[in-house]
Amino acid sequence: MASVEYRGMNLVIPENDSEWREHFKLARGHKLMLRACKACGLMRYPPSHGCPWCAALEWEWKEVSGKGHIYSYEVVHHAIQPGFKEWAPYTVVLVELDEQRSTPTPDEALRIIANLVTPDFKPAAESTVAIGKRVRVVFQDLAEDFALPQFTLTDEPPVGRVWSL
Amino acid sequence: MAGLKDKYCVVGVGETEYSKRSNRSTRAMAVEAIKKAMGDAGLKAADVDGMMSYQGGDSTPANWVSADLGLRLNFYMDVFGGGSSTEALIGLAMGAIEAGMCKTVALFRSMNGYSDFRIGGTGARAAQPVRGLDLAQVPFGMRSAGQNFAPTFMRHMYEYGTTSEQVAAVRVAHSKHASQNPKALLKERVTVQDVTGSRWICKPLHLLDCCVETDNATCIIVTSAERARDLRQKPAYVMGVAGRVNKPRTDFHWAAGPISRVAGYYAKDIVFGQAGIKPEDVDVTGSYDAFTFTTMLQLEEYGFCKKGEGGQYVSSGIIELGGKRPNNTSGSHLCEGYTHGMSMVIENVRQLRGLVDDYCPAWAEGKHSYDYSPGKCRQVKNAKITMNLGWAMPPTGSALIMHN
Repeated sequence: MASVEYRGMNLVIPENDSEWREHFKLARGHKLMLRACKACGLMRYPPSHGCPWCAALEWEWKEVSGKGHIYSYEVVHHAIQPGFKEWAPYTVVLVELDEQRSTPTPDEALRIIANLVTPDFKPAAESTVAIGKRVRVVFQDLAEDFALPQFTLTDEPPVGRVWSL
Repeated sequence: MAGLKDKYCVVGVGETEYSKRSNRSTRAMAVEAIKKAMGDAGLKAADVDGMMSYQGGDSTPANWVSADLGLRLNFYMDVFGGGSSTEALIGLAMGAIEAGMCKTVALFRSMNGYSDFRIGGTGARAAQPVRGLDLAQVPFGMRSAGQNFAPTFMRHMYEYGTTSEQVAAVRVAHSKHASQNPKALLKERVTVQDVTGSRWICKPLHLLDCCVETDNATCIIVTSAERARDLRQKPAYVMGVAGRVNKPRTDFHWAAGPISRVAGYYAKDIVFGQAGIKPEDVDVTGSYDAFTFTTMLQLEEYGFCKKGEGGQYVSSGIIELGGKRPNNTSGSHLCEGYTHGMSMVIENVRQLRGLVDDYCPAWAEGKHSYDYSPGKCRQVKNAKITMNLGWAMPPTGSALIMHN
């Protein structure tokens, strides 16, 4: 069983957690791996047992580039988890990955929740976050077999309109 | 759409005081709320043979509560869930009665939502290990309801140009309504500037965009129209009910876009189809206001305005007492107290009876001034049809249409 302390939280992955047990271990190898359906080929996230589109149960890990753009975000000023108080204000981003955009329907995509961080894993300044900005994955190592995929801004041109509140 | 229009009704409602320190158990509060609802309906212990509740590991199950009331149940069930449960359970109670399992069902929700298990994510709930589904969000500081919903609100602002000032009008309206409600925790009327000037909690949510966590219990009693005939109150008949209706990918709403779309998109045809009416036929709405945004998103999704025009709708005056279709006339979650949806159905039942408990001296006899200045009346004149729009999360919702 993986058990990691991070920001006052106890992150627990029992051996029988067949959804998550490999995900963060693969991230520790600094690869962002998603599950791909062996029947229809579509990837999905978060890791699930069946394919959301064709319900097939056979799947394989597939590496993605870890590049994408900010689809939406929030800035937490009032942290409720004690371990995040020193981090606030911190940004939570909903990243839309480059692979499989608008597939299988126009409104679907591979999306992942993470923090927008600096390359040394401090919260990115609130003034830098905006919908449309380009990001890439960075891996925050927490233990020998556990890393959190996080995202940081890149200087690539944005996707669509850049907007922030 | 097949339904049970007009065959079932709400005949009794009751609640405890809304407070931030109940200083008693969820069992004690539930008993009080149910006893009040039974008294309201004119039902004796022998008349109530069904009980349902909803909770999130933070309350007392029905079989403990019923014992305190001298009830012998033919049917009981406690379900897991929060918002959007009220309307769905009314539908399930109708189904249980229709199936011959029991005759009259008391639904309750009892929680020490401020002093014990805080809905905002702090308190007893925050100390639990992070595992399973939570691993996709909680390690990133995304735990509370507001943090969970905020990307949906932000994306709506991006796609439709919705502004903080527009949604602040929801708080303004509900605070106006709460000022007419002796039960409300927050009775002071606020302005748009008060809302947008309050501190950020989780951008785009200001402090005053968020509801008020509360200790309370609430109860609603459902029975057949036939059984209702000799009871004390004028019944509130169920015209249509839907719940819990889901978007695809309910595990994480942000997986299936557009994330600015909420479950009402799928629920509206079910509930309006059963009722045989259109949004413009509704006199009073009760749209779940865990946040200002949730009210706005649901009103547009159910067709009270066009998709994307919710900001204009809620800031137009329509949703205020005295407006064309007042919303949440008790002040509800933002101002009265947070109840996981029950209080908004209770309020609409009272609106349909013409017996809203405002500051009119003879409200209990149905005499209202319809003067909506502070500290006066909150009864809507001639309310005939009400609708409740229940929210659990962006991808899950319920709805209920009633008439008198």
